Amino acid sequence: MAVVTRIGDGVLRVEVDGRAETVYVAGPPGDRWAFWNGRTFRWNASKSADAGAAGRRVSRRRASSRTDVTAPMPAKIVAVAVREGQQVTSGDTLVVLEAMKMELPVAAPLDGRVRAIACREGDLVQADAVLVELE
Amino acid sequence: MIRRLLIANRGEIALRIIRACREIGIETVAVYSDADAAAPHALAADRAIGIGPSAASESYLSIPRMIDAARAAGADAVHPGYGFLSENAAFAESCTGAGLVFVGPSPSALARMGNKIEARRTAADAGAPIVPGETPEDQSDAGVQRAIERVGLPVLVKAAAGGGGKGMREVHEAQDVVGLVQTARREALAAFGNGTLYVERLVPSARHVEVQVFADHHGQTVHLFERECSAQRRHQKVIEESPSPALAATDPALRTRMTAAAVAAARAVGYRNAGTVEFLVDPASGAFYFLEMNTRLQVEHGVTEAVTGVDLVRAQLVVASGEPLPWTQAAISARGHAIEARVYAEDPARGFVPQAGRLLLYREPRMPGVRIDSGVVEGGDVPVQYDPLIAKVIASAETRPLAIARLAAALRAFPILGVRTNVEFVIQILEHPRFQAGTVDTRFLDRETPSLVSSPDAAPEFVRSAAMAVQPSANDPQSAIRNPHSTWDPWQS
Repeated sequence: MAVVTRIGDGVLRVEVDGRAETVYVAGPPGDRWAFWNGRTFRWNASKSADAGAAGRRVSRRRASSRTDVTAPMPAKIVAVAVREGQQVTSGDTLVVLEAMKMELPVAAPLDGRVRAIACREGDLVQADAVLVELE
Repeated sequence: MIRRLLIANRGEIALRIIRACREIGIETVAVYSDADAAAPHALAADRAIGIGPSAASESYLSIPRMIDAARAAGADAVHPGYGFLSENAAFAESCTGAGLVFVGPSPSALARMGNKIEARRTAADAGAPIVPGETPEDQSDAGVQRAIERVGLPVLVKAAAGGGGKGMREVHEAQDVVGLVQTARREALAAFGNGTLYVERLVPSARHVEVQVFADHHGQTVHLFERECSAQRRHQKVIEESPSPALAATDPALRTRMTAAAVAAARAVGYRNAGTVEFLVDPASGAFYFLEMNTRLQVEHGVTEAVTGVDLVRAQLVVASGEPLPWTQAAISARGHAIEARVYAEDPARGFVPQAGRLLLYREPRMPGVRIDSGVVEGGDVPVQYDPLIAKVIASAETRPLAIARLAAALRAFPILGVRTNVEFVIQILEHPRFQAGTVDTRFLDRETPSLVSSPDAAPEFVRSAAMAVQPSANDPQSAIRNPHSTWDPWQS
């Protein structure tokens, strides 16, 4: 049984198996972050991507085979590498973003056809904005 | 002496310069973009001037706005920091034209060393070996492609105007040339306002070793030994240290030859103020090649400060004021070992995509032998528009293994919540046997990154229960946490 003591704002002392560990915690219950021993953890109720591994930013719509490919962060669109109707295979670059002066290719998460392109070169997009719809 | 200094930069380096000014009684003027109105550097200076929209091209990269700000503030000197306008000869020229002292080399030295072809010719004339390469006169895709064919694959395509890995791409296969050239050009334009590309033969298994040099207006040019920065991910330095483990493993005469070559290259352009001469070293053969000269203060200058005990930024201000260097070559010595980690807001689990957001919790560790230079505060934002560097953690100790252990301990006690960071990745590097053996080359991180990015394991159960079961903040009356000061008074903070 772990004994938890708050020793500062967001700083918890946890006694576990005879050791004392320091855990730092922040964020609302629906998006909780923790730091322990050089490692960061996040529990986000709305974004399943953060709990999982590769964190691909895609969402499948119910009762259809459509997949939205979204921006992982606020960014500028520097290139759209596909056109509507084009067949793509998993890993193909769909769009190139620029954020913090680095270019970030956004790849197709699966094989499919480009149903719609929801961005243009030069656009500024917010995190989670839909860039390309695949089907 | 400089009376009032405009700092044409942001973030941790602006704060670093403000601190040096405070020590010697120089008034400070910060500049800020819309995104940085409440940034720590803007709040720390004696006064701060807004210079425009968040996009760097309309604020921190705008020469007219910077000069206007300096005039409006009545500044008599400008420190460019690193990045942004720091290596821009036109900016140095504009400062001089406006009667402002530019804290850095002369515009002509900036222009010569900023042009990679000129820089290589200068270094070669001064006796330093160089890597084959060229800046194609025809900068079209086809022109750069022909240059790549002349130099021979594999090559590095770089921004002729810049550094820091921006606008730089490795090309291994002929079929990738056009796409990679276009990407490099776009990045070069976005980061430096100049899309000119330079092509250079890729040297495999090389070590990145750079020599800190410093020159005054009285004919004195000195070096402050070397730093090794072989731990790079896509040409972005992650860990820097001094002395260099590559040089420690070779003939001691190599260090003497390299520092002499660096001083000779600086003298050849009439260099003034702080600069860094970068070399590639092949430790097996003891060969070294001039790479480029960075005509500014480096991000990793603190590593040199830690081993030599000097203050490079204060010396920059003193030398820019026309005074002689505060040290002679004979008076400069290095002691022990120092190692720096760059903490970036980026997500290693998602291809190191840069992160922006609010720092929900940010606590820098305090421990002996650890220096942290940062430009953020808890509750503040990491803006999307700029370099995602959060902090530099510099550990020093008597020996390299002790310095590595100290840096890892500091990172394990450096909680940053609200954005993903590379902290765990850096700890993995520090604990890798090859890094600890001092044999990491410049390609190591690009090869080994998949094994160094730990899979996002579930949190240990006690971490999860501590994080989920309770309100972490003291002012929440629903808290179920035991308060050490009062076992049953949930209202007390």
